[in-house]
Amino acid sequence: MSKGQMPVPETVLVKEKAFAKKKIPIAHKQTRRQQQYFFITAGILFVICFMQIDLSFTQFQAGVARIPSVLEMMMQLSFAELPELASEMVVSLVTAFLSLVLSILLAVVLSFLAARNTTPNKYFGMLLRFLFMIIRAIPATVWVLIAVASIGFGTMAGVLGLIFPTLSYLVKSFSAQIEEVGQETIEALQSVGATWWHIVFRGLIPTLLTSFLAITAFRFEMNVAESVILGMVGAGGIGLLIQGYISFYDFSSLSLGIIMVFITMFTLEFMTNQIRRRMSH
Amino acid sequence: MDSILKVTNLVKRYNGGTLALKDINLEVKKGEFIAVIGPSGAGKSTLLRSINRLIEPTEGSIEFLDQRIEKANKSELRKIRSKMGMIFQHYNLIYRSSVLENVLHGRLGYMGSVAGVFNRYKEEDKQEAIMLLEKVGLEAEIYKRADELSGGQKQRVGVCRALAQNPELILADEPIASLDPKSSAVVMDAIYKNCKEQGIACLVNLHQVDVAKRYATRIVAVKAGTIVFDGQASELTEEMIEYLYEGKEQEMYESAN
Repeated sequence: MSKGQMPVPETVLVKEKAFAKKKIPIAHKQTRRQQQYFFITAGILFVICFMQIDLSFTQFQAGVARIPSVLEMMMQLSFAELPELASEMVVSLVTAFLSLVLSILLAVVLSFLAARNTTPNKYFGMLLRFLFMIIRAIPATVWVLIAVASIGFGTMAGVLGLIFPTLSYLVKSFSAQIEEVGQETIEALQSVGATWWHIVFRGLIPTLLTSFLAITAFRFEMNVAESVILGMVGAGGIGLLIQGYISFYDFSSLSLGIIMVFITMFTLEFMTNQIRRRMSH
Repeated sequence: MDSILKVTNLVKRYNGGTLALKDINLEVKKGEFIAVIGPSGAGKSTLLRSINRLIEPTEGSIEFLDQRIEKANKSELRKIRSKMGMIFQHYNLIYRSSVLENVLHGRLGYMGSVAGVFNRYKEEDKQEAIMLLEKVGLEAEIYKRADELSGGQKQRVGVCRALAQNPELILADEPIASLDPKSSAVVMDAIYKNCKEQGIACLVNLHQVDVAKRYATRIVAVKAGTIVFDGQASELTEEMIEYLYEGKEQEMYESAN
């Protein structure tokens, strides 16, 4: 369509005469202003950060120079440690899985108590959401360290330490879904005189089951990644071995460990993607 | 005929300060089929939802079968609601559950939490539900998932759910507003026929005046939160309709075709 054919409202025509050269604004004013504020603030912060931290260029140069030799060392591959690495990889997977299952059991109930539209008591829901906000604000690593400090090194500490961040993540995601399903489902069952349990089990869970499963699959992936890293701080599993290889400059075993983690994560992501795709309809 | 619902001086003020209902008085007798008409935003939905307290009324009293709804506590309210079916504009089915399960949800109000959670519906309730579905022509759809149905079929499931409650009163909030004319007729017939047969009183929100006139034994017209007409369909004059939709005439014609 050419410009001449566009119907122009009269009021716009009048304004155009008054400011003959001014362009007609098309953006939503408030949105544009918000965007401007955002970019200006981000820019200022970047400059401040850049000045604040002491970035040493010489250290960077020296490091770059060392990259080829480190890479060369890592090109070696030794399969001597394969059995141990494989069994510890399984330990990491089991840690991730156990903490996930325990978290799901708790999260399914807690999320309905926390979600704004299903909480039996407004203040109790608020308290619960606040509590989980605090738990989320503490990194998984810290939780595991607390667990290690209180019950000692090993898988048990890993499972226990991972439950907190996993549970709070699931509760947040689940209750966000519950809030999104909205009033329709709830009103339908309220109007027949259903109890809270009826609304949850006969209305919301059937509606939300697939999205809950998709969230859970994604969280499993995150948990495996976490448990690998957390092994390094004492939660057991493959992380502990990798940490050891790094300390002893055992590059050939380290490479195998990294490859192993890579393959596991890749397979997992592929699998969870499949699950999520099938769940979506 | 005895009165089953009595609304007295009902006022609803929303949090924002909007006065949705001003001093509504309404009495419903057993088996009456009442159409509530009026332009969008007049307060028809608010009125219906105040009756079963999906919306909390601000002032006034609502009496249902000699019980004060606005004063009822949680379990009393549940009992009241179980005797009061509701049909929604957007059907509000549980789309991942089967058609039969959706109809059986109408029985939840009569069941304890544990029984409901574990699907312990009575066999005679199941038979009753299947019979209702057969009656509205959905016998072939009983075990389909609710999201596989067409709009008209979904709404017939909604009607069956309300009927399964074995209610004294049905509240239908724009039951045909999202449907084509053909499905609309099927759904309205299903509501009307069953209510007549079982002596259920019915309050239907409609914005189609012609449909209201065809079915209703009594018409209540709401404008800006007040009842401006309450009487027989034959008494509803053209002037009244014109006054009712003043400035919103377009809505009437939209729905007429």
